Amino acid sequence: MIVRVDKIMHVSPDIWELSFVGSFPYEQVNAGQFVNIRIGTGYDHILRRPISIAAVDQENKRLTLVFRVVGDGTKWLSGRRVGDDLDILGPLGTGFPIVQGKSILIVGGGIGIPPLYQLASELNEKSNNIQMVLGFRHQADCFWLDRFNQLGEVTITTEDGSLGQAGYVTDTLGKMKATGKVWQYLYSCGPMAMLRAIREQFRGTSTQGYVSLEEKMACGVGACYGCVCSSENQQSAKRICIDGPVFPWQEVAL
Amino acid sequence: MSEGNLRVCMAGLELRNPVMPASGCFGFGKEYAKYYPLDQLGAVVVKATTLKPRFGNATPRVTEVRSGMLNAIGLANPGMDQVLNHDLPWLAKHDVPIIVNVAGQTEDEYCQVVAGISDSGLAQAIELNVSCPNVKCGGISFGVDPQVLSNLVEKVKRVSTLPVFVKLSPNVTSIRDMAVAAEQGGADGISLINTLIGMKIDLTTRRPVLANKIGGLSGPGIKPVAIRMVYEVAQAVTIPIIGMGGIYTGEDGIEFIMAGATAVMVGTANFTDPYACPTIIKEMSQFMEDNGIANLNDIRGCAYA
Ligand SMILES: Cc1cc2nc3c(=O)[nH]c(=O)nc-3n(C[C@H](O)[C@H](O)[C@H](O)COP(=O)(O)OP(=O)(O)OC[C@H]3O[C@@H](n4cnc5c(N)ncnc54)[C@H](O)[C@@H]3O)c2cc1C
Ligand SMILES: Cc1cc2nc3c(=O)[nH]c(=O)nc-3n(C[C@H](O)[C@H](O)[C@H](O)COP(=O)(O)O)c2cc1C
Ligand code: FES
Repeated sequence: MIVRVDKIMHVSPDIWELSFVGSFPYEQVNAGQFVNIRIGTGYDHILRRPISIAAVDQENKRLTLVFRVVGDGTKWLSGRRVGDDLDILGPLGTGFPIVQGKSILIVGGGIGIPPLYQLASELNEKSNNIQMVLGFRHQADCFWLDRFNQLGEVTITTEDGSLGQAGYVTDTLGKMKATGKVWQYLYSCGPMAMLRAIREQFRGTSTQGYVSLEEKMACGVGACYGCVCSSENQQSAKRICIDGPVFPWQEVAL
Repeated sequence: MSEGNLRVCMAGLELRNPVMPASGCFGFGKEYAKYYPLDQLGAVVVKATTLKPRFGNATPRVTEVRSGMLNAIGLANPGMDQVLNHDLPWLAKHDVPIIVNVAGQTEDEYCQVVAGISDSGLAQAIELNVSCPNVKCGGISFGVDPQVLSNLVEKVKRVSTLPVFVKLSPNVTSIRDMAVAAEQGGADGISLINTLIGMKIDLTTRRPVLANKIGGLSGPGIKPVAIRMVYEVAQAVTIPIIGMGGIYTGEDGIEFIMAGATAVMVGTANFTDPYACPTIIKEMSQFMEDNGIANLNDIRGCAYA
């Protein structure tokens, strides 16, 4: 699908927000899904780059991505200008299940945070009680805090304490758990070490967790078996691009 | 079909066109059926199938390199039983020939899988993968020694009622010798090339990017190597050749035909563009029309003829 860049701006020193409009099945998007973006037109970059859907505006038919520049592909993407065409595939993958009327904890780390905005928006519409813990490295890395604040109770953590609570999200989660608070659902996206630590913290509790995983991809549609993770019992392979990226946390080896 | 000028017949198979997705780059067809009807394709070639399910290598097992990619999937597949009970029955409902890529570690394992596929009646041809660079003794030993290859093909042919294509590795000293050995073993055709062995190092971690360290190079960058090998093999054997390696456009496909191929396979291009195969079919047909070529036979092997 060819879509048109509608907005592109910095949201922190190395993180960009990009919106596009144009023919795309916006109504099919589930929070946690991603799009796969063609980089350039020649043969330099032949693999598409997967980027999570951060927000969909159904009314104005507009989709927003938030990404960090880490290499050639994301650098090229950050160089797009309003009016430029983008060749994208999507929405791809299996997203977060949207429950209704529950107590929910959303935990995000770094560049894993963007898809949690679309998630919180969808959960917010279904009268859930939402608490969020969002972890960043420094204050300068923070983005979209005002947006998240409109969807529930947000606690920010930074590694250097420059904003919110100092330390990792797991430090804050430990304190929150110690108050005796119980959540029915926990949704998380971020670095593997964070996902692993959170699952450990909640082992043996009644909280049902969902985690969004990442792996290098080739096809992005389930055909190449490039992006697999193993199931918790190590018995079978799950493809992150189609069976995931979101999995119930008891189903995958982290 | 408007692409009538692309019809080919090869090893007893009637194909509406010579374009098929390459093994490992199209799963078992299901994923791409969401993008276009599979009956547009000349055939569908499915992922390497082994006797038992395989998880494959550790991740990361794919990465991009300039004008190509490296993969070290390691023959991940659900195993023959699952393929026979679920994947092939689904695919067989489509009006398109099915070629099953078969891999193994021993002659016996190859024969068991080939017999299973052949007896099922669900496929139209076998592609013997003796060239996967990503598993230890997983086929590659069969792909580098002409005598070993010839023996394997002979044994496999005895248990197969389907035509058998042998997929060759480019990681050999003489591709010609391997092709001749396959033909002597009784192969009905040759497909080439599989991936070239490569490596990419991450400058930050100072370690290879792929968990398996080495992987197979595919994509636009390998096309000249593949063309040269098809050109060489076409002059050494009389059985049909399926050429592949970096095909991204109809003109790339035509170039392989001119080098001597009867049909072509498209691998990595599917990842760049899921519509790659139908686009290449249209472009090949257009090239024929624009250049007044009525049949692919008129240009096959013209580069050396
Ligand atoms: C499902 C999913 C959702 C994602 N969502 C986001 C998002 O919302 N925002 C964001 O900033 N990033 C996201 N990423 C990570 C993003 O895909 C990579 O940062 C990006 O592909 C890097 O490309 P590059 O060319 O800049 O980097 P390079 O390092 O030059 O890329 C080289 C190759 O490695 C792949 N690659 C590198 N890093 C990653 C990675 N972390 N995950 C997967 N593939 C990688 C690239 O796609 C490319 O094929 C997501 C990844 C996945 C799998
Ligand atoms: C991700 C990936 C998986 C592959 N898996 C197989 C396989 O299972 N069996 C096989 O014979 N070849 C396999 N191949 C090789 C391709 O079929 C093809 O020979 C090679 O990629 C060259 O063609 P291309 O440049 O068009 O991709 C694989 C290639 C890739 C990129
Ligand atoms: S990227 Fe190909 S199967 Fe997931």
